Order: sequence, then structure tokens, then C-alpha cells
Amino acid sequence: MFNSEFKNFNEILDMSGHGIYVWSVYLVGISIIAISFLIAKKRIKTVQRKIKLNNASS
Amino acid sequence: MAVCALMHIVWRVKLAAYLIKSAAPIGAMITFIGLFSGSIWGIPTWGTWWQWDARITSTLILFIMYLGVLTLHGSFSNLEKADRLMSILVIIGVVNIPIIKKSVDWWSTLHQPASISVSGSSSIDPSMLYPLLISIIGLGFMLISLGILSSRSYILSREKNKKWVSDYV
Repeated sequence: MFNSEFKNFNEILDMSGHGIYVWSVYLVGISIIAISFLIAKKRIKTVQRKIKLNNASS
Repeated sequence: MAVCALMHIVWRVKLAAYLIKSAAPIGAMITFIGLFSGSIWGIPTWGTWWQWDARITSTLILFIMYLGVLTLHGSFSNLEKADRLMSILVIIGVVNIPIIKKSVDWWSTLHQPASISVSGSSSIDPSMLYPLLISIIGLGFMLISLGILSSRSYILSREKNKKWVSDYV
């Protein structure tokens, strides 16, 4: 069902010499997306905290 | 974004403007990733990381448009006015989308013509086509969830003085 092009883990990393291009893109792409999620979640918490403080003071 | 911009301009739907403002950073981010990954992949395939190719240039313009939308909105203290001008810029910017799509057909440059076709047969091998389609669906869901998170915080911050927000929080 699934025929792998690679024989071992090193071949997956190397990808016939293209590994540096493939994995660097993965690294940067996933990092940016993960940071975006973290920022979005942090913003929600910050806004909610500000609103609660505002409600408590009024 | 264009549909939301139209809704905001024609019917003055506030939520539509909030969604545009929330979606713009996500659009900028994903366009940047596209440009960045394309540049890296361009080195082994084309021998250059950058070329003023029609597809790359039109995508760069899209990225600049996203930044323009965010900058324009941030430069006004009157948020209602900022929403309106941002919506107009989005409507103008949407002209770029068909240009990006058709750039590989209209100009013969580095990029090959479209490999995937909805109506006809795709030139891409099925061993790559199906993983690509699954990845596109996955990315779509991820961006939708990021959009929901982003719009949630923005709606709360814009409506923070409203009673429903106080009740909600």
C-alpha cells in the first residue's frame, strides 16, 4: 500500500540533497504558525483580563 | 475579506470590518510563508532565490497590500473611519487575486502553468496530488481556527465597553 522512497531516517533528512531546503521551510513555516496561535491565545487572555479589571473598577 | 469589505461598505456591518482586521495579519503571515518557502525552493529548482517573475511579483504585491491594510487601519484614531477606508482598500486589492491566478498563463516566466485543474486533468502526479489536497484542506482548517481565535480577541477589544462583553467575560 505504501512504498517509501527512503530506506532509512538519514535519507529522509537528506532527501537526495534537498533536505536543507525542505526542512528549513518546515521549521520556519511551523514556527510562524505556532507563534501566531500563541499570540492569538495570549491576546484573548490579555483582553479578558483588561475587561475584568475594568468591570471591577466601575 | 472582499465579501466582508462589501458588506461593511454597503450595509455598514461592523462585524464584517472586525473580521477583515482579524484576517489581514493571517493573510500576511501565510503570504509571507509562501514567498519565503518559494524563495528557498527556488534555489535548487531555478538556481535563484528571487526573480521578478509575474507570479512572485503579484504575490509580493498581495503581501504589501495586507501590510497596507493593517497600516492604514492603525493610522487612524477614529476606528469607524479606519474600518471604512480599510474596506475600500480591500475592494481595490481584490483585483490582484485573478492577476495572481492567471499570471502564469498571461506571462511566460519562471513559473510553469497551473498544475492542478478543477475542470480538466491535472498534470501533477497523483502520488503528490492527493497529499497536496489533504494538506490544503488541513491548512484551511488551521487558518480558520486561527481566524476564529484572532477575531475573538479583536471583537472583545473593540466592544469592550458594551454590556454583552461585560456579561460574557
